[in-house]
Amino acid sequence: MTLRKTLIGFAAAAGMAAPLSAQEVAVITPYLAQPGTQFYVDGFSARAEELGWDVNVIDTAGDVAAVISRIEDVVTQGVDAIVINVDPAQIGAGLSVAADAGIPVVGMDAGSDPLVAVNVTSNGYAMAVETSVYVANRIGGEGNVVMFTFDPFPPVQVRGVIADAVFGNYPDIEVIDRITPDVSDGGIADSRAQMEALLAANPEPGSISAVWAAWDQPAIGALQAIQAAGREGEGIVITGIDANPQAREAIASGGNFEASVAQDFEQIGATTADSVARILSGADIVQRVVYVPTRLITAANADE
Amino acid sequence: MPQLDLDTLGRRFGAVQALDGVSLTLRSGEVHALMGENGAGKSTLIRILAGLDRPDTGAMRLDGNSLPLANPVAMRAAGLRFIHQELHAVRGLSVAENMHLDRPYPRRAGLVHWRKLNADAAAALARLGLDRLDPRRPMTDLGAGDQMLVRIAGTLVGEAGAAPWLYVMDEPTAALTTAESERLFEVIGELVRQGAGVLYVSHRMPEVLRLAHRVTVLRDGKHVSTRPMAETGQDRIIEEMTGRSLSGLFPERRSDILGETILEVHGLSAGALRSADFDLRAGEILGVAGVSGSGRGALLRAILGELRARAGEVRLDGRALIGGPAQAWARGLAYVPRERRSEGLMLGRAITENVALPHLGPLARAGLFLDPRRQAGLAEEQGRRVRLKAASLTQACEELSGGNQQKVLFARALAGGPRVLLLDEPTRGVDIGARFEIYRLIRQLSDEGLGVVMASSDLPELLGLSDRVAVMRDGRLAEIVTAEGLSEAGLLQRFYHQDGRENAA
Amino acid sequence: MTGIIRRFGGLAGMLAVVLFFAINLPETFLTARNWLNISQQVSMLAVVAATMTVVMVMGDFDLSVGSMASLAGVVAAVLFVQEVSIPVAILAALGVGLLGGLFNGVMVSLVGILPFVATLATLTVFSGIAFVVSDGRTIFGRDIPAAFGDFARGGPQIGMVDERALILPNLTLVAVVVIVLIWIVLEQTSYGRRLYAIGGNSEAARLAGLPVMWLRLSAFAFTGVGAALAGLMYASRVASANPTQGDGLMLTAIAAVFLGMTLTRDGQPRVLATLAGVLVLGVLDNGLTQMRVDSYVREVLVGAIILIAVGLSALGRRGLTRRA
Repeated sequence: MTLRKTLIGFAAAAGMAAPLSAQEVAVITPYLAQPGTQFYVDGFSARAEELGWDVNVIDTAGDVAAVISRIEDVVTQGVDAIVINVDPAQIGAGLSVAADAGIPVVGMDAGSDPLVAVNVTSNGYAMAVETSVYVANRIGGEGNVVMFTFDPFPPVQVRGVIADAVFGNYPDIEVIDRITPDVSDGGIADSRAQMEALLAANPEPGSISAVWAAWDQPAIGALQAIQAAGREGEGIVITGIDANPQAREAIASGGNFEASVAQDFEQIGATTADSVARILSGADIVQRVVYVPTRLITAANADE
Repeated sequence: MPQLDLDTLGRRFGAVQALDGVSLTLRSGEVHALMGENGAGKSTLIRILAGLDRPDTGAMRLDGNSLPLANPVAMRAAGLRFIHQELHAVRGLSVAENMHLDRPYPRRAGLVHWRKLNADAAAALARLGLDRLDPRRPMTDLGAGDQMLVRIAGTLVGEAGAAPWLYVMDEPTAALTTAESERLFEVIGELVRQGAGVLYVSHRMPEVLRLAHRVTVLRDGKHVSTRPMAETGQDRIIEEMTGRSLSGLFPERRSDILGETILEVHGLSAGALRSADFDLRAGEILGVAGVSGSGRGALLRAILGELRARAGEVRLDGRALIGGPAQAWARGLAYVPRERRSEGLMLGRAITENVALPHLGPLARAGLFLDPRRQAGLAEEQGRRVRLKAASLTQACEELSGGNQQKVLFARALAGGPRVLLLDEPTRGVDIGARFEIYRLIRQLSDEGLGVVMASSDLPELLGLSDRVAVMRDGRLAEIVTAEGLSEAGLLQRFYHQDGRENAA
Repeated sequence: MTGIIRRFGGLAGMLAVVLFFAINLPETFLTARNWLNISQQVSMLAVVAATMTVVMVMGDFDLSVGSMASLAGVVAAVLFVQEVSIPVAILAALGVGLLGGLFNGVMVSLVGILPFVATLATLTVFSGIAFVVSDGRTIFGRDIPAAFGDFARGGPQIGMVDERALILPNLTLVAVVVIVLIWIVLEQTSYGRRLYAIGGNSEAARLAGLPVMWLRLSAFAFTGVGAALAGLMYASRVASANPTQGDGLMLTAIAAVFLGMTLTRDGQPRVLATLAGVLVLGVLDNGLTQMRVDSYVREVLVGAIILIAVGLSALGRRGLTRRA
């Protein structure tokens, strides 16, 4: 490790154009088995290949402590950069080892931390803006809106904050309930039950204009409740965020569930690779969080 | 000189009076043999002595003082120690540790004081002349005989004061070879010389005749007699045990005309067996003798094909056997293994199933479907032939006596209509009455024209039953001698013929 | 000859693994820093495997250690959220481990349920309680006191290499203490020798008047406390707790004990042999990662190596019994 570093150092000092060997980058995640993570890694690997890097993807099968262990290992091995896909708060021990060895760590939708040089992610605020504004416009700026939020989980909490602000800015929109569903089974079942209770409490058609959900599962639950109550004809607008496959299907079928927001996982991966490249080239990094644009999904593009 | 008096002990289990007013005096400094068939009450008596069972009537007194009943701790404190036929050794621990199983390890600062542990064990071993055993060796390295000696020595560890004085030994030689038994007898002699008493329970008549100073016979839970050895003998003991006079344990052969050669073994080498040769004729009983580890059992298993032959061949009716045990059974070889419990019987299953096990194929309807009725028919037929005593053929084998379990295995072996019967220790752990019946059965089968190869460690049975005896030494079939006119001593000498010293197995 | 292969074959195999990495990773593998890393990485596994050895000595095993580790971590974290002090929270978590272990012991020893069934059931129970206690969430960030997370990052400094401090990790120290303790208990106290007696021949132990029931029951307390301690170490290392994070420890710990058993003379579990098993697994993870072997291929290799080691040992043993 030290030898190679020294050689690279000499090469740089001598003004040589290219390093002696390909850059080595380790991607470490406990979640590779999850579909989203696979897209990040694909996007990253594709760009890394263009850049001619040696990429080592390490999966610890859900074991977060093992992520620390593997960071220690690749630090010993002497990689040029490390990419993580896990909350940095949980792997502080590994981050400090990498920092001590002077190896940069880049987050791929990981979270912010002083020891993470750059975190590449989607903008949660922006995603909430997309759907809450969609709702406000669809109901013509007036009516009763039901919100499903989840403040205990920070990435979801920020979405609720934005929706509150957007709806609060329309004098004729009233948020009649702000529900935090029980998420222990994913959130669909409890959201549906809560929505059924609300529908029962507001029996007149038009008494509920829209349901804004901070992620897709409550939106699906609300849709099921509306269908079960036979009130799908009232034009209640439902939106979610994340655009998971079940949500896309509901949106594509053209019912009450009208919109959601998709993150561009592959682009996050590719942008992460670009960020690594910038760090390796010695660029001074000021922007510690890089946002990758998201995309509103409606019936028009849900099938793509 | 301590003395333990058992006074009119009685114990009833349901309808069975297992022990019926038995009185007995056990003294230090002598070997007291306890004889009786299975069910005579020996085990019940031993359990009461051990404090594991409470007698309904009677009392036990140590030097005149009553002992509490059903109290194992008190019996231990009274100086009794029990050596069981099953070896209860912990193989992974050292000899010294095994000697400390039932007592605290010596400790220093709360930790095991290994040096003292080993020294204490060595001292106890030395008291019995067992200096050759290293207390630090793992128990695994020792044979069954030495493991038993270690257990006996273990009773002497660190008990200079309240030393145990009465050893109750229940079939101690059941799992031992002749040589190992010899060493046990030496140790028993040493214990008695040092003032201990031994209550010795065994089915093996020669051992009792040789060791005992007095003999007590039980029958059907009742005390029959207690006599000094000088006033009794084999015939009298057997008569008292069975309640009938047995004119000799071994039935006479009815015809001494042997038939054609049916089994030929040529240069057979397999496992520990090296180049065995012999022929067996129809109606002949060939005994296989030798110390344990000499290849007795290996010879049988090699003939059966269970040990794969490295060289040589086995011919049955002139045709070579090459297909392993399955073909051997199919062609008419039948095998009764030594370890009834582990190799032979499915103990929890019915007699019927046990008998039918290797014959399920031929018994099945259309070659596929099990036919319980045919199985039951087979078991009944063969059960009658071997004089099996059981409440019902659906009884589980574990409920049967050792002798009847053995008969189940015979019934299984005979059910296929074999030409040659391979028997490994056919009377091991079987009481004298059942033993007699098994001898009669073997004789009857040979009279019917079966060839029998019988490996045994019991010299009287080898000499009393066999026509010829094959002597095994170090895996070789050393010689074949005619049984008639051969003495036990003469046979025993042949075990060690060449080098004159015993095998260290 | 077979005896020698059996006795030292396993050890030779382990040295071969080390040698292989030493040759392929000449600059990094045999450095003090790397071995300190490995020692820290395997510390939690070492604690679980060492205490697992205590019950495996008796021929039993405990499948619930993984979920107990998760539960203990979650219990401590939830107490941290309630602003309970670190020592109290740690004691409470270890207490949960002790209770869980004793419960396992009662089920196996007093009630007489097979260890496989009993501890499979408590695995589910402990895991369920961990979810209930934590609400199914990961507890991290400000809820976890900095001192608790810092423990796993710290340790006495023992030198400087390449201008970076060489630290003997606290987690390694904890594991060493546990292993020494278990070694003393198993090899140097009557209590431990009694456990070996039960494993060797429980009937003999019973007949010798050993309190088999109490011994078995109490031995499970070790695995319970060991698992809880490992759970706390894990929580400290990741400065967080979630209700499943320790689950993976159970299978690996049992694998480590089995690997160790291939090293001992008569195939008995021994704690130092277990430690060797743990180190082999740790070295494989560390070395194969450095050699950039794909994570999934790495898993296949580790499994194959366990099979080969245990298989060779079984074959060696069968060879021995054949000859006897």
